[in-house]
Amino acid sequence: MEIFPALFSVITDPTLLFAIVLAAAVGMIVGATPGLTASAAIAMLLPITFYMPPLFALAFLYVIGKSGRYGGSVAAILFNTPGTAASAATQIDGYPLARAGKAGKAMKVATISSVIGDLMGDIMLVVGVGFIAAIALKLGPPETFAIYFAAFVVIGSVIGKSIVKGLASALLGILVAMVGLDPISSEERYTFGSFDLSNGIGLVPLMIGVFVLGEVFSQLEERKKAKGDIKENESDPTGHTLTYEEYKPCIPHAVRGGFIGAGIGVLPGLGSAIAAFISYGEGKRRAKNSEQWGKGALEGVAAPEAANNAVSGPSMAPLLTLGIPGSTIGAILLGVFLIHGIQVGPTLFLTDKELVYQLFACGMLGILAYGIIGYFGATQVARLILKVPVNVLYPLIFMTAFVASYSARGSMFDVTVMTIAGFVGWLMRKYDFNVAAFVISFVLAKGAEETFRQSLLMSDGGALIFVERPIAAAFLLLGLAAMGFRIRSILKERQVADGGLGDA
Amino acid sequence: MKRRTFIGSMAASAALAASTTATFAAEWPRRPINLVVPYKAGGGTDAYARAISAAAEGILDVPVVVVNKPGSGGLNGANSVVGARPDGYTMMMTSGGSFLLSTMTRDTDIDALESFEVVAQVGQLRTSLMVPKNSPYQSVQDVIDAAKANPGSLRWAHSGRGGFHHVGGLGFLANNGIEAQDVPFKGGGPTRAALIGEQADFGFLGVQQLRGFEEQLRALAVNSADRDTIMSDVPAFGELGVPFAAVSSPVIVFAPKGTPAEVISAMEAALAEIAAKPQFAELLAERGTGPVYASGTDAKAGLAAMKADAAPLVQSLTN
Repeated sequence: MEIFPALFSVITDPTLLFAIVLAAAVGMIVGATPGLTASAAIAMLLPITFYMPPLFALAFLYVIGKSGRYGGSVAAILFNTPGTAASAATQIDGYPLARAGKAGKAMKVATISSVIGDLMGDIMLVVGVGFIAAIALKLGPPETFAIYFAAFVVIGSVIGKSIVKGLASALLGILVAMVGLDPISSEERYTFGSFDLSNGIGLVPLMIGVFVLGEVFSQLEERKKAKGDIKENESDPTGHTLTYEEYKPCIPHAVRGGFIGAGIGVLPGLGSAIAAFISYGEGKRRAKNSEQWGKGALEGVAAPEAANNAVSGPSMAPLLTLGIPGSTIGAILLGVFLIHGIQVGPTLFLTDKELVYQLFACGMLGILAYGIIGYFGATQVARLILKVPVNVLYPLIFMTAFVASYSARGSMFDVTVMTIAGFVGWLMRKYDFNVAAFVISFVLAKGAEETFRQSLLMSDGGALIFVERPIAAAFLLLGLAAMGFRIRSILKERQVADGGLGDA
Repeated sequence: MKRRTFIGSMAASAALAASTTATFAAEWPRRPINLVVPYKAGGGTDAYARAISAAAEGILDVPVVVVNKPGSGGLNGANSVVGARPDGYTMMMTSGGSFLLSTMTRDTDIDALESFEVVAQVGQLRTSLMVPKNSPYQSVQDVIDAAKANPGSLRWAHSGRGGFHHVGGLGFLANNGIEAQDVPFKGGGPTRAALIGEQADFGFLGVQQLRGFEEQLRALAVNSADRDTIMSDVPAFGELGVPFAAVSSPVIVFAPKGTPAEVISAMEAALAEIAAKPQFAELLAERGTGPVYASGTDAKAGLAAMKADAAPLVQSLTN
């Protein structure tokens, strides 16, 4: 219980507290700005931290990372633009809520859920850091592949009205993910001799294109068809307040999201976006009001937000004990340890125990800080944004899409990718294909392929390796079970629908 | 012939650079410098880049930002830098041996010596044969015996095909007449974690990766004739009398072709200063490596020599 003296020493240090609050605010702003990511901000701020004592530097950057993850939800809800990759799942329900004039409500749900998830993650980190590291070590390629498989099935089977179109969208996502260099043999695939394509298609431009540009195109089309003013962005007077009664159904989703996020966080390389999508998929599957999800359910904001923030804490365990950064932010924090002459590795908890626990304490205080700022500030921001007329807002979003896709890697090729993805996203929406399934399978395919092929190399091409390893087998079973349930419920729905027609 | 066009293009680009960027070069650096590392964070080259970034404080007026672009034995990152604007704000720090080898083994237009300006060398990485702590193999001979007893039954991990760890490992296998299946991971950090987690029987990874993980891993030998200067506890293949392929990797900073000569020499001077800084050596010692500085010209000559030596080896290994 080293955390309590650590918390006490942090609370009694006013300058450190100030740094935490500042970091929470900076992270939120950066996360909420499309095109600026928390990792980019951290990289830029890194040199400043050379002059700070180690705890200061680490706490400052760690809290920016946390609140940046949360800040991404603001852009997702208000502009349908994922501020960070992690908030892509939040916009599925967040944006419809904003269009229904409930942006403030959605942002408050996002805030509370992020705080719940983040705190759960941090508590699990503090309690089981050694244990977490041990698990992470035992999960080799077969286990990681099994987790990818489970993720694929849970997500792919839950989202989408038409199963065939959903599967087609997912396959398209996988196909696009295959562009670039083969992860094992390093051969070029689907590059058509193009230099740029050999680097693969970037996630950020693809996402901005499909979600933002595609959405803008769809809106344009709708407005033209409607030939009149569409009432949107009209602020509902109760749209910004949130009552306990409204949040109550979100609690189980937030808690489940917290567990899912923490579980994913343990595994280096999977990341927040995957955690958020799995949590969304699981949440929707278990929700009583699953038909509401995707059209503006508050629970649909709570589930992914809790999960993406819960990743933050546990992902520190493999970083600190094994030196494997699970994210760009983790890699930069690793650099900070290095700069201050602290050896990350199994011996860290012997040599710098106090520092580590103080860092965890700062993380927890940071969560509270962004929670408070977010909860009270979100309404104001939402009110302000919603006052902007649509004919100003859409061109702005349109421009932001270009700037954001360029600035992520400073590449014009990414802008091309974004533009093409925009048209693809628009056409997919128009013909009822599943945009979310497309992006999710794109995210999952690369890692799944790499781990699958590593596993086969380990087993001399034998598929039994996935069954012989208990953890891998368990996750594969979970995926198959989810698939079975889904098929059963579809058959049931069909029966009901047939019966209904028969009566008529 | 090739040499002449090369000189010609050099002269042309230099003339162009001189006329358009003279004032610009004088003002360099004004923005943060992006130092692309074509490997995941946590590996050996990454450690050098982050130490450079930290030690550049006070020598360069702007921050050096480390950008990790992993994948395909370092060619992903190289691809992105070769096409970057040659303004001195995008450079690449890479494991020179891995980079050279992957340009030789892979079908790519990039030529390690021709497609980039060599700025300077700041370090040296060596690969080594490691096993998990619980492994039954206590010596290099144990590994060789096990592989001979059951050809093809052992799995070995490395950080990506075409890299110098991979080629070093292949050299070890070929020279000792043994066979084993390789399992590539992306970068040094994940390879080490996989080996600690006993996902493979042995691995070829940077000898510096042992630092801090002595309780999890056992290094059986370093892939060179003599011991590493920093990790001096690990025996060398040379002293053990085990045949090996002499592949190592100088850590070199490259700039895109056409970067103004003033900028290159300013960066070279800055790197020389950084490499001489005690702080740099201290930061690297934490990670089990040390500074090994060489000027751009010397580094390029070293690479050219390695290319000549490695050519027949690569030929035999890839066929």
